[in-house]
Amino acid sequence: MTAVLELAAVSFAYGERAALTDVSFALQPGERVALVGHNGAGKSTLMRLVVGLLKPTAGTVLVGDWDTRSRRPEQLAHRVGSLFQHADQQLFARTVREDVAFGPRATGVSAVDSAARVARALEALGLEAVAGEHPYDLPPPERKLAALAGALALEPSLLVLDEPTAGLDRRARERVAAALAGRAAAGTTLLVITHDLEFAAEHLERGLLLGHGRLAQDAPLSDLLALGSRLEDLGLAPPPLSRLATALSLPGRPIRAREVAAGLASVAARNRVS
Amino acid sequence: MTAPLALRSVTYRYPASRSPAVRDLTLELRRGEVLGVIGSVGAGASTLLLLAGDLAPRVTGGELTGTVERAGRAALLLPTPWTQLSGMAFTVFDEVAFGPANLGWPRERISASVERALTRVDVPHLRERDPTSLSGGELQRVILAGILAMEPDVLLLDEPTAELDPLAARRIWELIRTLAQDGMAVVVATSDLDALCDTADRIAWLEQGAVRALGATREVLVEPALTADTAPGSTSIAAVWRLAGLPEPPPLTVAQALERLR
Repeated sequence: MTAVLELAAVSFAYGERAALTDVSFALQPGERVALVGHNGAGKSTLMRLVVGLLKPTAGTVLVGDWDTRSRRPEQLAHRVGSLFQHADQQLFARTVREDVAFGPRATGVSAVDSAARVARALEALGLEAVAGEHPYDLPPPERKLAALAGALALEPSLLVLDEPTAGLDRRARERVAAALAGRAAAGTTLLVITHDLEFAAEHLERGLLLGHGRLAQDAPLSDLLALGSRLEDLGLAPPPLSRLATALSLPGRPIRAREVAAGLASVAARNRVS
Repeated sequence: MTAPLALRSVTYRYPASRSPAVRDLTLELRRGEVLGVIGSVGAGASTLLLLAGDLAPRVTGGELTGTVERAGRAALLLPTPWTQLSGMAFTVFDEVAFGPANLGWPRERISASVERALTRVDVPHLRERDPTSLSGGELQRVILAGILAMEPDVLLLDEPTAELDPLAARRIWELIRTLAQDGMAVVVATSDLDALCDTADRIAWLEQGAVRALGATREVLVEPALTADTAPGSTSIAAVWRLAGLPEPPPLTVAQALERLR
C-alpha cells in the first residue's frame, strides 16, 4: 500500500538555521496523527514542506506518489487540505460559502459535487447560519472554522492542520473533533499539529514528537503521554486526565475521558469518596 | 481605594451590528487580583477586554452606554499578537522598547524595563532577533513583553497562551500570578479552564454579552449549568468526575480529585 505521506531523511534550514534534521516517517490512509513539540521544534516548517510551500534541503517528501519537489502547491492541493496557524490569512472570498467553495472549484470538482461538499463541510462545523456572511464579520474562532471548512471541502487524502482547536470553545472543539472523525472514517489521513494534548489524547491515535528539529518519538499517544519528565524536557506536559490516571495507577494507562471515567468509578467503588 | 478598573452598566454595540455584544455589564476589578473571563464564542469576553483597554469604541467605533473607569494604565494582549507588531523595529529589543519610548520615558528607564520584561517572559535570548522572523509562540511572548515593559496597572489578556507549547504556557500562567502578587490587576479571557482554575481568584462567566455568574473560581467552576450544551464547560477533571457519576460538586484539579478519593 502506498503511504499517503512519506518523509524520507528530510532536512530543512532557513539559511544557516537548521529547522528540521533527518526526519523520516510514513502515514497510512485513515490514520489520525498528532504532531507535537515545543515552540520552534519545526512543526510549522514540516507543515510547509508537506503542502509544498517549502522544498526540503535534503531528503524527500512524498504525497502519495508525488515528490513535492516536482509539484506546485496548487497541484498538491488536490491531495492535501491545510489549515494554517493564522487561519485569517487563508480567507479571502466575500462570503463564507464562496470561501469554502474555492478549493473544490479550483481543483476541478464539478459545480454539483462542489456544492454538495461545501454543504457537508458547513454542516459538519455548524456554519450554515453564517454561510452568507463576510468571513471578516465573524469572530476569530468562527473564521478559523470557516478556513477549516475550506480544507474539509477538498475531501483530500491528507489533512494537515496547524492548531485547529486553539481559541475555540468547547462546542466548537467538539464540532471540529466530529468533523475530523468523519473525514478519517472516510479514509482521509489526519496530521494535526497541536499543543492541545487533551484534544490529541481524546481524538487522535499516533503521536509524532519533534524536539529541536528531530523526530524524538513516533508512538501511540498513550505511550507518548506516559513519558513524563522526558516529555517536559521537550516543552510538553501531560494533560490533567493523563496525570490523574498515572497518579491513580489506572490499569492500561487510559488517556481518553470515557476510559479514565471508568477507571475512576472503579477506584471510587473501592475507596470512600468524600 | 479606587478600583483599577470599573465597568458600570455598560452596554456596547459594534458598528453595523443590530444587537449589543455586551449588555448591562457591571464589574469592578480589585488591585492584585486575577479575574478570569469565560464564555462561549460570541459571549462577549473579547469585547469586554476591548472596552476595558479603551479600544472600543475609541478605535472600533460603535455605541457605548454606561461608564468605563480606569485608574492608571491598561494594556491589552490581543488573541492575534502578530497584528500587534509595531512594524517600526528591526530587533526584538526595539520592538519591546516601542511602547515605553512612546510614553516619553528616559533612556535608562526604558532599557531597564525592557530587560525586565524580556526576562519575565523567558525570551532575553531573542533580544537581537528580527521580530518578523519569530515563531508564533516566540512572537506571543515578545508582544507580551512589550506590554509589560509599559508597566501597566491593569493587564488585559485575550487567550494569552494560544500560541504556546504547554510548558511555555505554564510559565505564563505562573507569571500572571506573580504579576498579581506584585499588585497588578489582571483580566484574562481564555478557553483553557484547567489553567484558569489554578490562576484566577474570581471568574466572570459571560453569556450573550451579559454576566451569567461572577464569583470565586472554585464556586463558579463547579456550577452544574456550565456543562449545558452552549456553556463553556468546566475543567477536564470536573468533566471526567461527572462522567464517572461521582458525587457533586466535582473536584477541579488532579490534586483535589486525589484528595476526594482518599
